[in-house]
Amino acid sequence: MVQSKKQKYTFLAFCLVPTFIMFAIFTLYPLFSGLYYSFFNWSGSSQNKEFIGIGNYIRLFNDAIIPNTIIHDYFLVVTKVIGIMVLALFFAVALTQLKIKEAPFYRIVFFFPNIMSVVVIGILWTFIYNPSMGLINSGLEFIGLESWTRPWLGSETWALPSLVLPSIWAGIGLFMLMLMGGISNVSKSYYEAAEIDGANQWQQFWKVTLPLVWPQIKISILYIVITTLNGSFVIVQVMTAGGPNNSTHVMGSYLYQQAFVQYNFGYGATIGVMILVLSLITVLLLQFLMRRDKVEY
Amino acid sequence: MKRSVGQILGRTGIRIPLILWTIAVLYPIFWMFLGSFKSNAEIYRNPWGFPETLNWQNFANAWTNYNIDTSVFNSLIVTVVGTILTLVLAIPTAYAIERINFKGSKLLFTLYVSAMMIPMVLGWIPLFFLLADLNLLDNIYGLAIVYAVSQLPFTIFVLTSFMSTIPNSLEEAAAIDGLSPYGVLWKIITPLTMSGIITVTIMNAIQFWNEYFMALIFLQSSGNYTLALAIDYISSEAQYTNAWGTLFASLVIAILPVIILYAIFQRRISQGMTEGAIKG
Repeated sequence: MVQSKKQKYTFLAFCLVPTFIMFAIFTLYPLFSGLYYSFFNWSGSSQNKEFIGIGNYIRLFNDAIIPNTIIHDYFLVVTKVIGIMVLALFFAVALTQLKIKEAPFYRIVFFFPNIMSVVVIGILWTFIYNPSMGLINSGLEFIGLESWTRPWLGSETWALPSLVLPSIWAGIGLFMLMLMGGISNVSKSYYEAAEIDGANQWQQFWKVTLPLVWPQIKISILYIVITTLNGSFVIVQVMTAGGPNNSTHVMGSYLYQQAFVQYNFGYGATIGVMILVLSLITVLLLQFLMRRDKVEY
Repeated sequence: MKRSVGQILGRTGIRIPLILWTIAVLYPIFWMFLGSFKSNAEIYRNPWGFPETLNWQNFANAWTNYNIDTSVFNSLIVTVVGTILTLVLAIPTAYAIERINFKGSKLLFTLYVSAMMIPMVLGWIPLFFLLADLNLLDNIYGLAIVYAVSQLPFTIFVLTSFMSTIPNSLEEAAAIDGLSPYGVLWKIITPLTMSGIITVTIMNAIQFWNEYFMALIFLQSSGNYTLALAIDYISSEAQYTNAWGTLFASLVIAILPVIILYAIFQRRISQGMTEGAIKG
């Protein structure tokens, strides 16, 4: 393009600088000062901000609730990864490999919960779990399993597992589509070759589909792990707010409670640092574990 | 023949889980619509069946007595301002990163993209005080700015990939005709990227319309509540007031725009989200 150096740099500045300033103010600065706040004892007003070094971190290691929040988060990670991947893979294979006429209908329906608000999902499922009117207990009574009915979200043992189902319900569609994209890219000739070699559909799935869509599977797992560790607290907050008796607190909801309910902003920031560190370590570890040579036939 | 009978059985067999999951997805949503037309007495008597009459009382109640009208208006402002601001900030940067050679363009791109993987919870505490200092706390425009910046990485990411498909020759021709780089960006690139712009805008709009947690932290007075907060409030009240019908009506109000957008842009939305996840 015909233009002087000066013009070019003015234009570049026009394009990049305002955006970067906004990004720096509202994303970078908060992240770094969150790190900085974690070394203070601070209840919000500017006078009593007190530097306590690693005091908050010592408190973190001695806080009996923290290990539970971590366990709860990873419980959700593991159950969601298994639940979503098994179902999404099954649906993806069913909708691509077996010629089902109404496949687009299923695709459209299964994806819809992915764009529903977590508030709507959470409230809807709170009602489904409602001990007296809820669908689950009514259904159990209907099929004669009265003894299985319980106040799902009100029980310390059952509240956390009860959160898994709505998360799977809301998440499956996206991963099904990602996997379907992968499967439809696998050349038909591999399946024809497998068929000639006498492989049944089950063998075709294990020997052809699975290895060839491994990249999509890997990305899906990573994506579920990241979004769960960084965002599981939203559904927790809507459905149980961490209760009963802290039995569903995850790291993020505990941060919210410490910082914005009890005004321990310094300690809240420390929990935030822990979330950041744990999610980075988990992602790096997963990437290392799931590296597998690309399969090419 | 034997094999085809087996296949037919297999086909039917494979449909059972598909149909079950369809019911699992649709029934709760359906039931939410039904519930919004029932009186409270009817909800207790018959929580899962059809309503006896079409009763719009719940909507009227939510709209006037529970301030849903204000919240819908707030959510609309946040969504519209947020999506426009996102585009204003993202389009020039996406263009510069994708099309202009400068030192550090890779680095800048990586910086934006890696922000998608960072848990923002940590940043929300300082952001709370920053907004307070800027007089933007408990302010829907403040929330719109926060939303816009939070979706910047994703938007830049999607737009750069759309812009990379535009042939270079168009810009060169326009420049030879004497169009300034600003003109190229506004008159050539923006219209040609329109498909990508529409996709990200729909997705950002849904995101902002649905968002709950940042609104919970950054908004305080009920006059500023977005729809998500208002519903959350009605829901926590309903445990004492038992205003379930009103709660369902407000859920329906919240979900209707999303359903309409999905009905029109179904393919765009699902493709946009899938590609965003795969490449990100």
